[in-house]
Amino acid sequence: MIDYFALALGHGLLVLAFLRLVMRDSLDVDPAISELQVAAEAKRPNPRGNRRKAGSAKPAVEDAPQEGEAAP
Amino acid sequence: MIDFVFLGFIGFILALGLKRPYFWVLLYVYIDILAPQNIGYGIIQSVPVSLIAFGAAFVGWVMFDKKEGARFSLRQGLILLLLCWCFFTLQFADFPEEAATKWDWVWKAMVFAIFLPFTITTRQRIEALALTMVLTVGMIVISTGMKTVLGGGGYGSLKFFVKDNSGIYESSTLATVAIALIPVIAWFTRFGTIIKPHWTVTVFAVALCFACLLIPIGTEARTGLVCIAALGVFLLRYTEKRLIFIIAAPVLGLMALPFLPQSYYDRMATIAQPGGDESASTRMQVWEWTIDYAAENPLGGGFDSYRSNSFTYTMPVREEVGNTTTTEYREITDEARAFHSSFFELLGEQGYPGLFIWLLLHGLGVYQMEKTYRRWKGKTDESEAWISPLAAALQIASLIYLVGATFQGIGYQPVMLMIVGLQIGLYSYVQRLDSAKRALVTDRVSRRPNARASRHGKSRQAPGAVTA
Repeated sequence: MIDYFALALGHGLLVLAFLRLVMRDSLDVDPAISELQVAAEAKRPNPRGNRRKAGSAKPAVEDAPQEGEAAP
Repeated sequence: MIDFVFLGFIGFILALGLKRPYFWVLLYVYIDILAPQNIGYGIIQSVPVSLIAFGAAFVGWVMFDKKEGARFSLRQGLILLLLCWCFFTLQFADFPEEAATKWDWVWKAMVFAIFLPFTITTRQRIEALALTMVLTVGMIVISTGMKTVLGGGGYGSLKFFVKDNSGIYESSTLATVAIALIPVIAWFTRFGTIIKPHWTVTVFAVALCFACLLIPIGTEARTGLVCIAALGVFLLRYTEKRLIFIIAAPVLGLMALPFLPQSYYDRMATIAQPGGDESASTRMQVWEWTIDYAAENPLGGGFDSYRSNSFTYTMPVREEVGNTTTTEYREITDEARAFHSSFFELLGEQGYPGLFIWLLLHGLGVYQMEKTYRRWKGKTDESEAWISPLAAALQIASLIYLVGATFQGIGYQPVMLMIVGLQIGLYSYVQRLDSAKRALVTDRVSRRPNARASRHGKSRQAPGAVTA
């Protein structure tokens, strides 16, 4: 009886978790990383020279590593 | 009846995997830990569920997964190296038949541990894997904990779902894994996104942690008690009110004492008196024997090389006749005593090279989790706050495993290899996150030197930057 209870509880919670997960796109594509990549892509100046537009965007991260950062 | 429930559940996850193949990876994790094919006693025993799940997980990843961010890490390389080394020592094993039997499950566990991190590429996947492991181990823990509370405990007498002493269904192994997972369970009460933090989650987690702590009591596994003590010490680092923790822990322990059975006291007393217990006293001798054996066979003797050992010693044997208890010292010969320690298991079976790779694998895990903890500590943003506590939880899991592994041969334990896989997945993920952040900053910075260069006539370009 105890065994059946433990198995039922565990399986029930797994079903609940899996049903919640299956509809989430974030299971396959990480939103945090893809947002950063999109932001980096958007800011990257392209050969056509829309540097003014890209340069006007605000930095999206505040606490990124500082090693490579140069003084303005 | 239960067979159909298991098969229905497996079929359900297989169906979910058609939409998201990662579920097939979770299915294998579930089957490998719980072994439903060994719990059922009918049709499920004839269905190769483990093989189906592994095949689905691998094919699903190769054919349908985006594989974005999948990378081969140093620790996966170490597992691969250990796998190759095990295969090498298998060729000249002292006991080829027994070695082949052990190799049969060891290689599968290692191959899955190498494969697993390739699939863990997102935060949700990391969490889903951790949750699947916690809930699957949780089923065994809840059942064992409830039986202990209701008075069904005892060394070797507590009945698990599977009664063949294999895998996680060995009392000391279960105790170690259960205690190691406590910090991960606690993590879900604050940072879970699949089942979000709620008072019901906290109540369940507290009950589950309590059940985990009951495992060493219910099974009377001494290693489990050592693991609980180790957990207390490791948690000190993360406790804000250390003094209260130091005072409260022994008080709680003392309060639990009246509820423990006499048999538990008797067994735990043998920790301090190894001479009175066969399992404990031969342990030291086996370890000495292994060091001598490794001196003669520095490349190891293959799996189960302990089978050639033999010890003769004098032990007190107590006999009760009526009201009289007599203690007689008898000479006892023990043969083929197991290593009783993963460190000596690796040394005896895989020699110094195997032990070195194994130590490096786990040592690197502790180091990488420490690095991750420090790098992401103090982050308050929802998308980053979870990283540091999970790294700390997985580091404690590794450390408790190493403490437990000192007293039992669980060097290739599949569940622990899954935790290794989870650590590798987390470490790879945070490296990708870091590099994505760095790329963003670099892009921003790269334009500044260019602007300056146009003024001064020289350019010092940041790596990875695109020239406009």
